Amino acid sequence: MKKRIIKKIDTSKRNFLTGSATLAGVAAATSVLPISIAKANHEDSDPKGLPDFIKWKNREALIVHSKKGIEAHRSAIGESIITPIRNVYIRNNMPTMTDAQIGDRNKWKLSVEGVKKPKTFTLAQLKKLGQTTIATVLQCSGNGRGFFEHGPKGSQWRTGAASCILWTGVPVKKIVSACGGIASGAKYMTCTGVDAPKDLDPKKATVERSVPLLVYKESILAWEMNGVPLPNAHGGPLRSVPPGYFGINNVKHLGKLAFTETESDVKYMKTSYRISPIGKKGPEYPSCWEMPVKSWIVRPTDETGVVKSGKVQIAGVAMGGTKKISNVRVSIDGGTWKKAKFVGPYLGKYAWRQFVFEANLAPGSHNLASKATAGGDSQPELRYENRRGYAHNGWKDHSVNVEVV
Amino acid sequence: MRICKIYFVVLFFSFFLMTDLKADSEKMVLGLEVFNNKAMCSTCHVLKAAGSTGDIGPDLDSLKPSEEQVRSVVIEGLGVMPAFGEEGLLTSDEIDAVSYYVAHSSEK
Repeated sequence: MKKRIIKKIDTSKRNFLTGSATLAGVAAATSVLPISIAKANHEDSDPKGLPDFIKWKNREALIVHSKKGIEAHRSAIGESIITPIRNVYIRNNMPTMTDAQIGDRNKWKLSVEGVKKPKTFTLAQLKKLGQTTIATVLQCSGNGRGFFEHGPKGSQWRTGAASCILWTGVPVKKIVSACGGIASGAKYMTCTGVDAPKDLDPKKATVERSVPLLVYKESILAWEMNGVPLPNAHGGPLRSVPPGYFGINNVKHLGKLAFTETESDVKYMKTSYRISPIGKKGPEYPSCWEMPVKSWIVRPTDETGVVKSGKVQIAGVAMGGTKKISNVRVSIDGGTWKKAKFVGPYLGKYAWRQFVFEANLAPGSHNLASKATAGGDSQPELRYENRRGYAHNGWKDHSVNVEVV
Repeated sequence: MRICKIYFVVLFFSFFLMTDLKADSEKMVLGLEVFNNKAMCSTCHVLKAAGSTGDIGPDLDSLKPSEEQVRSVVIEGLGVMPAFGEEGLLTSDEIDAVSYYVAHSSEK
């Protein structure tokens, strides 16, 4: 009886809504059904479970939070400093531009403003101004959000919205020289993406980010990433790279470089990406700019399987934001700290450093933690509670529990 | 006599059931209207039930948000999404309706 009533209710709703859809002028009237069978959209577009624009990524290495929010498994960032490009996380505010929208990559245009001689360059012209390669950590501001207990909105990243990338491009200071220097009064370098769809309010949809002016001296505009032309999904054909700054400041599909007296007034600068106390928001709170010192263990973890007792190499990565990492300490009991060894080549202070700590683990449960220090700052034990779950660098949440047999 | 009593009891509860059903349907209608027209949610979101295929915000059929989750984000906004409540772009009835509509329309 109950089933029959429910069936009747659903049918009546469908009929009613189909009619209302017509009234509302909605074209898709026949599809107005309140409930149907569960099926995640990414399963529709690709049997591997990845959306079309990043089918080339390594599905096994990734955790899909949403079509535009995809992180690497903790153990999938690799142990050779540079993250394999197929394992690099995806976090895109706007839809990725297509080849058709981009057109001939060499003819991609960048306008430069706030300089003594404003100019527009094509990518081909930028390539003639100069070239360098830098290694930087690219990390989403919300990496670690999944550890916050108040449930901040957004993708629930743990450690995988981070990567270490080799970028090739033109130093911004070469562009500044070609434009006769920076105009007087500038206090910020402001980069603008041109990926906002035209039917949206540009003040809300334009990804435009300002960083303190002096950052330009170390910044590049990149057209290559880990040895391949910058993929569209990562902001191709041109992206700004202000090293040591959170991912959002690395503006994708870059169309304008400006030196400005004030910070941009678009939403993505003014109110979004602000580190505010829980329950508060506004432009008066700090923006997600420089990344704080941070580290985490990538092996062993609960992802890497059973750990056999005896000698174990505990490996991880440590980053200092804009400061050089001075040391990393590891604990296998949640309290006693011992120095780990740095391994692999030093790729500059903006890259992360690999560390390894050799431990003898007895059978049982172990809490493995790492704590990095850079420029005199050490990772705190606890996260800084904030509304949107940004900039988490507390060591405790990032520790791993492993079972040793 | 007993049958008569049962009849009235059933009639009594049916009245409330029908009232609820009418209220739910009205909410769904208003919710759809807000979704596709006033708030233009369809510009940015996929929601098959509304025939929308927007590619900017999360796919609501995949996300399957609860009514409370929708309400919170509609009121406060997130990223490019306007704060429809805080900026006074929707009335509280419209927010209730669109939250109810999305929570009950995303593919379960």
